[in-house]
Amino acid sequence: MRSLMIALAVVAACLTSSTLTSAQEGHPLKGSWLGTWGPAKTHSNDIVLVLDWDGKAITGMINPGTDDAPIKNATLNPDGWVVHFEADIKDKSGVLNYVFDGKIENLSFQNRTIVGTWKNQRESGALKISRQ
Amino acid sequence: MKSGVAIAFTLGAVLLLGTAISAHHPISAKFDDKKPQTLSGVVTLVDWRNPHVHIYMNVRGNNDADNWAIELESPIDLQAGGWTHDSVKAGDAITVNGITARNGSRQLWATKIIMTGTGKEVLNITPPSPPALLANRPTPRWPDKQPRLGPSAGGAQGYWAFPSSTVLAEATANVPAMDQYGLLKNVADAKRVAPFQPWAAALYEYRQKRFLQDDPTFINCKPPGGPRQFQLSQGVQFVEDRDRQRIFVLIGGGNNNYRIIYLDGRSHAGQVGGDDDNPLYYGRAVGKWESDSLVVDTRGFNEDFWFTNGGLPHTERLKLVEKFTRENFDTLKYEVTVDDPGAYARPWSSSWTLRWVTGQEMPRHLCQENRP
Repeated sequence: MRSLMIALAVVAACLTSSTLTSAQEGHPLKGSWLGTWGPAKTHSNDIVLVLDWDGKAITGMINPGTDDAPIKNATLNPDGWVVHFEADIKDKSGVLNYVFDGKIENLSFQNRTIVGTWKNQRESGALKISRQ
Repeated sequence: MKSGVAIAFTLGAVLLLGTAISAHHPISAKFDDKKPQTLSGVVTLVDWRNPHVHIYMNVRGNNDADNWAIELESPIDLQAGGWTHDSVKAGDAITVNGITARNGSRQLWATKIIMTGTGKEVLNITPPSPPALLANRPTPRWPDKQPRLGPSAGGAQGYWAFPSSTVLAEATANVPAMDQYGLLKNVADAKRVAPFQPWAAALYEYRQKRFLQDDPTFINCKPPGGPRQFQLSQGVQFVEDRDRQRIFVLIGGGNNNYRIIYLDGRSHAGQVGGDDDNPLYYGRAVGKWESDSLVVDTRGFNEDFWFTNGGLPHTERLKLVEKFTRENFDTLKYEVTVDDPGAYARPWSSSWTLRWVTGQEMPRHLCQENRP
């Protein structure tokens, strides 16, 4: 019985995995992204980013909810699929300007990734987020 | 337990590998026409199924026999060429000319198959051609004189196929050359296909450079929304439900789906209760007759599919205006204006014609996921 359960779990995982590698064939940035941007003193290690494309501008929100911060100055350079955006995020000491730079990898996949860096006036680190 | 896990991993691997390229894909997405190869061996299995028939054969190598998968067209296309499921049988000795898989696996797309013993060539695929035009038959009409999109009253069944163009590009004087699958002959022409926004041009070019292998219609049997449904080789059928003021478009290819065009004056929003927030593969279509043409306005598309075989991107802002005009009994003119300010700099148009195939039902070509 246990082996059957494991077998079914493996098959289910494979099916789920294959399902994730499709869909969202529009603007490559549109969607919800989940990943890490730390560790750092000024924020937790996990990041949620919701991005949209209205035909003229990329808009979005970092960590939607109580700590949300809208992004600004977002660009996508299709020559290399280079991504840039910024956000002003409050902490106890005031407002910090975050600058994010990265590159889209695995462009064909729904669960494509953005790999890059972030920095503010005090710290910097790695960014890796995957589209959900 | 070990055996259960092994079976599961094997099945999982097959499913994942099958996902890479499946369904009725462009040949170039999987095979490299610059790498011809000839194989001789003995058939071990004929897998007579959609979307592609496969012949498995043992080819004697230096040490042992390697089993190769020889890929052919669909059963429908093979049967049209006179092939039956037992034209080649297990145990037959054959010689195959073809092109090899891009990924280096033991797979060959067959262009010629010869029975080794007799020298008889058994693979003879000639593209189907539209039926010969009869006399210039007038457009069939309903009693109120509105054109019929289906057969004449009491007439033989039929469907629309043989599109005069199987690719979508802006109608200009200088449309770039493409193959029947929408693959550009010269990828440098990409920006001339439509008035792209920069990101859409780059994404289109990226898809072209990958030989369209990422097409979700082939990978996951995603529905052929938009103008693509009128460029499939298996054709379409219109079922006009005049009592309920709607037209069903039955789609012969892809996943054998259908689309509804409402003619009862309803709007796009609130078209079907509760689905306004749900973008759709076929969008929400409303139509009306303008003289002898059916004009259909469709919006509310999702972004989960390619609306053309060549990989032109679109967004949820896509709006289509389609015009259907039955010019005579055997010719349907299709005109489409693509208005997607999310992906294109301005609206653009294209058109082609379809031919009436009389006396036949649409071929039943079923897309099957996870089958190479």
